[in-house]
Amino acid sequence: MLRKFGLCELFGLTGPASPHQGITESFGAAVHSLSTAQLTEGVINRSKRMILDTLGVGLLGTRTAVFNKALTHSQSFMSEERSSVWGKSNMTLPPHYAAFVNGIAVHSMDFDDTWHPATHPSGAVLPALLALVETLPCRTSGLELLLAFNVGIEVQGRLMRFSREAHNIPERFHPPSVVGVMGSAAASAKLLGLSPAQCTHALAIAASSAGAPLANAATQTKPLHIGNAARRGLEAAQLAQIGLEGNPAILDLDRGFGVYYKDYSPSAMPDSTSSGFRWILEDQDVAFKRIPAHLGMHWVVDAALAARGKLVRADRNFDLGQIRQITLRVPLSKYIDCSSPATEHQARHSFQFNACSALLDDKVTVASFSEAQISRTALRELLSRVRVETPEDNRPSFDEMYCEVELETVEGQSYTARCDTFYGHWRKPLSHKDLVDKFRVNASSVLCTKGVEGLIDVIGNIERVSECMILGSYLRMTSSPHEQLYSVRYM
Amino acid sequence: MLSILQKTVRPVLAVRGLHQSAIEVLKRPAPEDTVTASFGRFISEIKFHHLSPVVLHRSKRMVLDSIGVGLIGSTTDVFELALQHCQYMYAADDISFVYGRRGARLSPTLAAFVNGVATHSMDFDDTWHPATHPSGAVLPAVLALSDMMPSNSKPSGLDLLLAFNVGVEIQGRLMRFSNEANNIPKRFHPPSVVGTMGSAAACARLLSLDDVRCRHALAIAASLSGAPMANAATQSKPLHIGNASRLGLEAALLASRGLEASPLVLDAVAGVAGFSAFYEDYVPQPLESPSDGGHSFLLEEQDIGFKRFPAHLGMHWVADAAASVHQLLVGVGPGIISPAQVQDIHLRVPKSKYINRPLPKSEHEARHSFQFNACSALLDGEVTVQSFTPFAMGRPELLALLSRVHMEHPDDNPANFNRMYGEVQVNLVGGEILTGRCDTFYGHWRNPMTNESLAKKFRNNAGTVLPSDKVESLIDVVEELDRIGDCTALLSQLQ
Repeated sequence: MLRKFGLCELFGLTGPASPHQGITESFGAAVHSLSTAQLTEGVINRSKRMILDTLGVGLLGTRTAVFNKALTHSQSFMSEERSSVWGKSNMTLPPHYAAFVNGIAVHSMDFDDTWHPATHPSGAVLPALLALVETLPCRTSGLELLLAFNVGIEVQGRLMRFSREAHNIPERFHPPSVVGVMGSAAASAKLLGLSPAQCTHALAIAASSAGAPLANAATQTKPLHIGNAARRGLEAAQLAQIGLEGNPAILDLDRGFGVYYKDYSPSAMPDSTSSGFRWILEDQDVAFKRIPAHLGMHWVVDAALAARGKLVRADRNFDLGQIRQITLRVPLSKYIDCSSPATEHQARHSFQFNACSALLDDKVTVASFSEAQISRTALRELLSRVRVETPEDNRPSFDEMYCEVELETVEGQSYTARCDTFYGHWRKPLSHKDLVDKFRVNASSVLCTKGVEGLIDVIGNIERVSECMILGSYLRMTSSPHEQLYSVRYM
Repeated sequence: MLSILQKTVRPVLAVRGLHQSAIEVLKRPAPEDTVTASFGRFISEIKFHHLSPVVLHRSKRMVLDSIGVGLIGSTTDVFELALQHCQYMYAADDISFVYGRRGARLSPTLAAFVNGVATHSMDFDDTWHPATHPSGAVLPAVLALSDMMPSNSKPSGLDLLLAFNVGVEIQGRLMRFSNEANNIPKRFHPPSVVGTMGSAAACARLLSLDDVRCRHALAIAASLSGAPMANAATQSKPLHIGNASRLGLEAALLASRGLEASPLVLDAVAGVAGFSAFYEDYVPQPLESPSDGGHSFLLEEQDIGFKRFPAHLGMHWVADAAASVHQLLVGVGPGIISPAQVQDIHLRVPKSKYINRPLPKSEHEARHSFQFNACSALLDGEVTVQSFTPFAMGRPELLALLSRVHMEHPDDNPANFNRMYGEVQVNLVGGEILTGRCDTFYGHWRNPMTNESLAKKFRNNAGTVLPSDKVESLIDVVEELDRIGDCTALLSQLQ
């Protein structure tokens, strides 16, 4: 079949693939044969940061309403094999449902990592792997876990490079629901040690579980996109393991994985044993969030804080009542343009809300999204003075967008600030200290100090750890309710 | 045990200020005026008396056929695989019956899954217009859910039928939102798109959820919909129906626990796709409230097609056309067909990649091959369950015929189950030309199977796994379904 000129070739990502191999089969072969020998220091460092951050946001997320609903639902299933629920000392679930609820926890507050092209890569993969690790008869080393994790990330990155559509802020399908389930299937297949053919079929089966519409973003259901990606990818790998088959050309076909994209140009994964193999993560880092909100909010918050700072420096006695109008210059993206959010989920997807929170409180934190905070009169007041502009040069892409905030006072003064790259973006990564601090704050809301420090230690040295089950034990070391009450801190 | 949550009316949403200063004012309709809300209201407000005699009759036929194909489906490899998967990954849970397996019970969503897989495992289940397989996505879920309910408050047969019809109706309504849905699908496999929604609707109905939760059930289900066509004609295809059933049930259960999702999922919102993500053209219509003067179910106007043999619906046209040529040949010759008589075979069929396979390599491919079904019917006079066994598929006479097939796609033969035809032209070596044409196969909605034919199909199917007294009992129970007070009478006969 005639292969179209793929975007991968534009980015120089193809290498010699085995002859007579379809694209899907090349993925199956790569998933099977990628080995720990190929993990570079750069990739190990970056993926360890992702794992730590994911565990932290997941632990914090176990206190959300959506997590609790999913947990209650999941407890009606029984199984012989059981896997840990993060942040719960005495509760386990069937492995699929552990992957489900832990994945939901990770994405419950929109606090998890984001990549370019846009998706939330880790939440779809890590919960599935940790659930699976607890069921395997033989020990899984830290390095094996790292490898499987990176396979899951790599597959997602490769798939997103099959279309131009994937490079922009999404409009149709929520990316984690499209590529996340494929990543989970690949990672699980890797950990299970499936054959190349089985890996291929795992991907094919997973494709039939992909695709959730964007309209459920900014609702309580959004976290389920990640939870389901983790769960159903794991399931796909297990079905492939017992011999279920799908279409072995699923990635090759427009009517296969191509159904999720308007433009679709797949290309083969290079031979993973060749010296030319390079992980995408090596060249393209992830962004970590400082605020539990959609990535776009990070730009507008930084700009709003800077504009506020200018106003304060000009007039120490200023009060917000003096602001006549707030203009936001942002990229065009309907699902993060919400002038008056009514729920925490909408608030996390609202340029307007995040800008006004920053102006009002001089910071935006985990606590900014509670119902009480959202419904503050002062905030509503500010919101009514916001107008949004979408300049032509502001591209709806996490790699190219900017945010500008202009404050006009009643006296006619104007203070403008612009943010091109927020701290935490891949161009300006969080320092190691700040990443670990974020983790500590998040994890301490649920775990005791021993658990928190234990996780930092184990993840920090994961490539030398011989047995991963220790992660599960730390994830279950909860603090007493008394301690949890007093351990709440703000970033 | 599931406690059916009867929630009081939700507090009124906080009033949203429409800010005149904002350049981009998002014009949102009041929550009650949306298409999505109208669907939620419909599901919660529909009542028994809205089911007309025609709809009752047609839906009971669907229930019977669906159970029958599910029962024979429990003998397939893919069903076995799915069942093993559920049994390995999860413990036995004494709740919901598995088709055809004495003593086997699973958690409700898992039972819905495996029974759905069984139903579609041989592509023997019903087909509607616009195209989807409506029953397999809905029935396993409502049966499993009924098993879940306390024994002293099981749904009546009419409760079950109403929920079933809601599930089918929602599917029909959703498919009418696009022109794309009218043709043989190319992108997403329809049961994976509308089937999940139908299952969610049916289960929400059976759970007596209020209109807001019914709406959320649909929205949650939308995030679980959608599988690509490329997995049709593979062993994974039956999982599309299994998952539709299972995930729709899950969506309803999650909604009953208060999970919320997009209030605009069915509406067309520029820049943010909801259910519209699955279609290239999408124009949603609200559903009238049934309380204001009745409701006419789509099933009243548009009947179902039942299959006479386990293959894609398109195969039935060429099989009937080829069978008539077979009759002609048998009439003039020694009574059996020999490939040596045949010079070549021309098939005139609609253009559709996934059912055009010159040499199928598996039973799944064979069920999706114009060529295979035409040649089988030409050789044997009919296509049956046995036509897809490895032995039948490997016959030299059949392979010889297959090698002589030429495909043609006339312009007047659209890829549409309401308008297509199948024509088979056989050129004999002696120079004679025999042609058969089928515009409407027996079993199509324009030429429906009689009750006798349907019962015969059911007996053949169910009889492969159940003793004859249970088979007859099932026929009776389904016939009486709208009059029985406790659906346990049905649930207990499925294995």
